[in-house]
Amino acid sequence: MDQSIAPSSRRVVLGVSEPTDDALDAPDLPTEPMPLNMGPSHPAMHGTVRMVLDVEGEKITSADVQIGYLHRCFEKESESATWTQVFPYTDRLNYVSPMLNNVGYAMAVEKLLGIDKQVPERAQYIRVLVGEMSRITDHMTCLGAGAMELGAFTAFLYMLKAREWFYELLEEVSGARLTHSYMRIGGVCDDLTPDFVPRLTDILKRSRVVLEDVSKLLDRNRIFRDRMDGIAIITREEAIAWSLTGPVARSAGLAYDVRKDHPYLVYDRFDFDVPIGSVGDNFDRYAVRVEEMKQSMRILEQAMEQLPGGPVVVNDPRITLPPKSETYNSIEAMIAHFKIIMDGIHVPPGEVYSFTEGGNGELGFYLVSDGTGRPWKCRVRPPCFPAVQIMMKLLPGLFLADVVPTFGMMNMIGGECDR
Amino acid sequence: MSTSAAGPGSAVPVAVVPKAGSGPTPAVIESVNVTIDGKPHQFPKGTNLLEACNQVGANVPFFCYHAGLSSPAVCRQCLVDVKGQPKPVPSCYTPVADKMEVTTASPRVLDVRRQMLEFTLLNHPIDCPICDKAGECTLQKHYFDWDAKFARNDGIKVHKDKVVDIGKHIVLDQERCILCTRCIRVCDEVAKTHELEMANRGDHEVLTTAPGHRLDNPYSLNTVDVCPVGALTAKDFRFAMRAWELSSTPSVCPGCATGCNVEIHTARGHVYRLVPRINQAVNKHWMCDEGRFTYKALHAERLAAPRIGNSPTDWDRALEEAGKKLRAALDADASKVGVLFSAQTTNEDLYLLERLAFEHLRVGKAYLAGRDQGWHDDILVSADKNPNTAGAIAIGAGRLKNLMDLANDLRSGAISALLVLGAEGVLVGESAAAAMPVDRLSALVVIGTHTDLLVDSAHVALPLAAWAEVDGTFTNRLGMVQRIRAALPPAGDALPGWEIVTHLARRLGVTLDFSTPKAVFTEAKQKLAFMKDAEWGRAMLPVQLRFAGSRG
Repeated sequence: MDQSIAPSSRRVVLGVSEPTDDALDAPDLPTEPMPLNMGPSHPAMHGTVRMVLDVEGEKITSADVQIGYLHRCFEKESESATWTQVFPYTDRLNYVSPMLNNVGYAMAVEKLLGIDKQVPERAQYIRVLVGEMSRITDHMTCLGAGAMELGAFTAFLYMLKAREWFYELLEEVSGARLTHSYMRIGGVCDDLTPDFVPRLTDILKRSRVVLEDVSKLLDRNRIFRDRMDGIAIITREEAIAWSLTGPVARSAGLAYDVRKDHPYLVYDRFDFDVPIGSVGDNFDRYAVRVEEMKQSMRILEQAMEQLPGGPVVVNDPRITLPPKSETYNSIEAMIAHFKIIMDGIHVPPGEVYSFTEGGNGELGFYLVSDGTGRPWKCRVRPPCFPAVQIMMKLLPGLFLADVVPTFGMMNMIGGECDR
Repeated sequence: MSTSAAGPGSAVPVAVVPKAGSGPTPAVIESVNVTIDGKPHQFPKGTNLLEACNQVGANVPFFCYHAGLSSPAVCRQCLVDVKGQPKPVPSCYTPVADKMEVTTASPRVLDVRRQMLEFTLLNHPIDCPICDKAGECTLQKHYFDWDAKFARNDGIKVHKDKVVDIGKHIVLDQERCILCTRCIRVCDEVAKTHELEMANRGDHEVLTTAPGHRLDNPYSLNTVDVCPVGALTAKDFRFAMRAWELSSTPSVCPGCATGCNVEIHTARGHVYRLVPRINQAVNKHWMCDEGRFTYKALHAERLAAPRIGNSPTDWDRALEEAGKKLRAALDADASKVGVLFSAQTTNEDLYLLERLAFEHLRVGKAYLAGRDQGWHDDILVSADKNPNTAGAIAIGAGRLKNLMDLANDLRSGAISALLVLGAEGVLVGESAAAAMPVDRLSALVVIGTHTDLLVDSAHVALPLAAWAEVDGTFTNRLGMVQRIRAALPPAGDALPGWEIVTHLARRLGVTLDFSTPKAVFTEAKQKLAFMKDAEWGRAMLPVQLRFAGSRG
């Protein structure tokens, strides 16, 4: 694994926590244990999740994190949809980075079909482009909302402003602002818009300024630092033991990034760094995400530079819908269209595990096909599930107020965690 | 008046159940060694090579071949390479031979198959969106599996007649026809009539009826089933429902005593068609046109709610009233109480009614009703138009009299009360009421499926679930006990016959403790000799045709 720390992922202050004020822990305040219910619908928690906390005064003694409020039977529903019809469901997994889910699922099916090497190069570059844009929107949402929950509303608005630029461009490409369903098995559904490259270049320029502004607002902000530094520390060993991946694991010093360690698409052609933290606290999780956005922007610039021409989806009537002009004018294309829509793409029997770097870490799809046009099983490894799981260990010993930033930096996305 | 003197009771001795496939042991058949795709196999001498290949999972496609018909080898889809043969051979036309080495998917075979499909598609109309066969079309399936190349020719297609009314039940679209001749062979070999033929040559070749003839034999709709594409469509099913929306439930046709095995195709609580299900011992691949339309009655003039007099009521009140009436009659004189069995109901219904009537109530009179006899042939159609006459006669064990006796007893006043389970065929036509004066009865309780004259005359009428709405068994004219399965929820408040009998028994102070038709079947199987070898089979959900893939 690549252990190098990105040169730019510097810390303002590393791992220094405030000296404890003895008066706060003074034993003379009589307290008694009290169960406290946070959620499932709580204004300071993004995502529907219920936490049953035992508190003594302000101090948490045990935490029971209960998930499942956003369970939509994703995996079961997929079994009655054709392979292609699953795409809209994947949009709703991690709904702040739908493109990454799209890519992950498409690649899993392609691996099962044995066409993963035939996906046109341009389609692979487009997948990288929209995927990294999605990663940026994912992190912007996480950090912006996290800051807002600590009172920094300005940072939130700045982040969302920049996020909207990305969304607008993704909408132009895919037709939908959030639930894109832009991928297809074998490529993407349509080519990029003609002015995609200049527009993205401009957005990157403006977003960099926004990131600078937010950094200035937060990095040395006394209130923000006090609530983030040294809170909920995860060690590298714990990160491995709890199956953590993504920014949460990297902030604990585990330099695991699927894009680097198991390069897919064309990620091996880009020069980018994997930032890791040194303490594993909430601030590290913030800082790693900020740096990851900058690295994604580097990838985007390189991808735009290298973007080749050519088709954007494999040319096989069994897999790709024929163009409409063919469908309406030849019986061959009409039948192909009919069979793909009504029966679905025939994926040979077998099973596959395919994984990509999602917004929150390793997003895995385990698919089983029985040879029909529908998945026999479609299992998702949601990256934020282990992150939510470790909350039960992190929270006891913290103050009640620490729940909000800790939960925020775990970036639980209900759609993905509960499926 | 329709008290058929011959009646359903006159025919059909209950035969020993012949199990499918267990005939007398044939003389030892020589077997030959054949290598298919590199693997050695043994087949009985004379086996068709296509069947041999597909038996061992080779998946050789075909249009013109049909397991129930002769092989003309016209479609050229089933070509395979046989070592030593200069050209690919049509496997449907080739018997296996010893030391044969067969390759079913060599590059040459695949190429020929693809080229043949390209020719077939050359003039095929772009009709899938409006074609009734779409979704269960063999051409669609084979194109997707074996061709999957875009058109290379954008010339103008040869046009032929699109809507040719060739028979009472069937419309022909000549453009869609791929000239496989299956329908011609159905007429020639199954119905033994010869209405269909090919005319013209080359890409002007068309399917047509012989001059001066129409496709109107009693088995004409089998041509629609065997048609691999949408060239022949049933007027009844045309544009009624998309094939992939249908769910299929295996059952048995209630049209006559033959008991052809069928699939009931339903969607959203409605039956859209019956198609034959293969059973070599009964109907092979076929069924008659008349049987296909038996589903129509499921959705017409059903008795949907219990009635007292002619006013709708609920089950509780109706059963209470029926119990009271029958109890009074039984207490007065049980020998003047009659029970009417029906050859239209399942063995389970009949068995429970028999137990209630003879074992518990000890009624004096019992009769068997059913539809009148009708036309018959020596292909499939029986004269006895009831699906379960053999079962009713076996369960009645000589105690059931016919409808003529019922009419006589009614006129002479020998019975004062009557319980009817399955009223069909009892009172038909205007003059029937005079011949069969049911209005003289002090209690007439009718459990029936449809609103007919008898139901209208009843003091209490109870709605009975029809054949497609219940699980149970019918016994056909060969004495084979065949399973029927519920494909629909019962119409309105209707209940299965066996269940109504248990409820009614409770009101009469009798305990018949059954909660499923399978429980009734299991007990009947122990008690009744003719059901000894019968099997209930596994529980199953209807299969959605969309998931079952192409039927073609």
